[in-house]
Amino acid sequence: MNRFGTALYPSLIIIVMFIVFFVSALDAQSVDTNQWNINDVTQPQKSFREPDVFPSTLWIATQLIPSPQVISVQNEGLKFSLRWQVTPVLYSFGINRKLSPWRLLVAEPLVRQNGSIEIFLTPEWLNLTEKFKTNWLFRSGIRAYVPLYRRGEYLSGSLATSYYNYNGEQGVSYEAGIYLFFGILGFQATYSPNMKSSPWIFTLRLRYF
Amino acid sequence: MKPLITVLIILQFLIYNLSCSAIRATTNTIEESISSLFKSPRKLQDKITDPYRPDARLSVLWVGHATALIQIEDKMILTDPVFTTTVGQFSKRYVEPGIDPQDLPELDAVLISHMHIEHLSPASLDMFESKIKSLLIPAGGLVYIPNYDFEINELQKWQTWEKDGLIITAVPTSHNGWRYGLDDAWMKTSYTGYVIEYKSIKVYFGGDTGYNNTFFKETGKRFPEIDLALLPIAPIHPREYSWKRHADPKSAIRISRELGAKRLMPIHYDTFPESIDTLGEATATLKAEMDKENLTSDQVAILSIGEQRIFIYRNQEQTNL
Repeated sequence: MNRFGTALYPSLIIIVMFIVFFVSALDAQSVDTNQWNINDVTQPQKSFREPDVFPSTLWIATQLIPSPQVISVQNEGLKFSLRWQVTPVLYSFGINRKLSPWRLLVAEPLVRQNGSIEIFLTPEWLNLTEKFKTNWLFRSGIRAYVPLYRRGEYLSGSLATSYYNYNGEQGVSYEAGIYLFFGILGFQATYSPNMKSSPWIFTLRLRYF
Repeated sequence: MKPLITVLIILQFLIYNLSCSAIRATTNTIEESISSLFKSPRKLQDKITDPYRPDARLSVLWVGHATALIQIEDKMILTDPVFTTTVGQFSKRYVEPGIDPQDLPELDAVLISHMHIEHLSPASLDMFESKIKSLLIPAGGLVYIPNYDFEINELQKWQTWEKDGLIITAVPTSHNGWRYGLDDAWMKTSYTGYVIEYKSIKVYFGGDTGYNNTFFKETGKRFPEIDLALLPIAPIHPREYSWKRHADPKSAIRISRELGAKRLMPIHYDTFPESIDTLGEATATLKAEMDKENLTSDQVAILSIGEQRIFIYRNQEQTNL
């Protein structure tokens, strides 16, 4: 099986999961919200207010904080490296059904950790060569979060698959993660079977929103 | 200035969650701060298992912090329910909840004042979901309420919800609506107080609020003759930072007066570590203020966690205290 085929199967599984959740959520959104008796004193409000989530300056600043990671390098042992993460799109199946499940870039901890699927982009500085330019790895992938305890705010897990490009070398990676403290603190293990120099990456994920 | 305030808010969020270890170390010993993380909450003896009081027109059972079970005749209302041992994973409660969740009665309404982790606890709602008939939350708060089977209503300020004669109105407070700190940028409306009305009895629930020179006068004007006001009295320190968001005992008395409330019941103290206040400081300060203001224990009812007090009996005429 070629590299593309290796990536295809896990990606397809997650995409099918995504479609199932999407269809079920569409169905759930048709629930009638006009079920209570509100005698409005100021202005009528028969629907719920969507949060105006946006990438604030401080949010951007927090996203610049990298997650430290160690990579296992053949014949050299462990090396320190860094990872950043961006979520272009997230679909939450843990958010209340009466609100939009979609998030662009910014996702609140409960919205993400209580069950969601996200597309992610990850620049990583691997510290494998002496030149700064040749140390960058870029990956894009899809990740599913599941709540494990207290709606995911105390404990949640994730599974992901991604496709990476490191100096022209491309391949698929598999990742498992576990998260505490509203998802701010996490541990991720990434395995890239075709990356001979450093197949394992262990990340202490620091992420605030 | 705004980013600085947001950074302070994030710090406050972290302080809530890290049990204030670093700050409390300034007043307590380091050993005490660390050991508090490993201590079990103090057990309560003889907890009430059947909180419905047939002889009461108005009674309150203080569960701890801002959680109070209010009975008005045949209606049961629960405020800001938190029954978990910790909030925010690391902040452990000093005392166990004043009633076990399985002993809660059917709840006609559950009120959430705002989104902070020691006021909105989805894990606690999970414990007695089947007993909740209606959940009332401030406008914009639904994003932090996961899916439940019970009815959920968002109320804007001065908006009223009514069911079977039970009338609940969202009223303004001076606080904030974030849950995680950074969301302060867009969670601008998700905090409120409530006035509960049923069969001519009125109860004010302040959740967590600082003093404001118009909100409470206006609420008092719109809801004259409030029988009981549940008001926060802590955190007291650091006052220069928290006065806008948190009432101390002195401002709680002032708020109660501006509301025109006949009685004040203090809440929001000595349950979770959340500031540099020491245990017992809030009640000691409140008692000193009561002495200064010549207030009696009928006018300011200080309950212990787990204590239930009947404020108006069924056969009792209402009195202006």
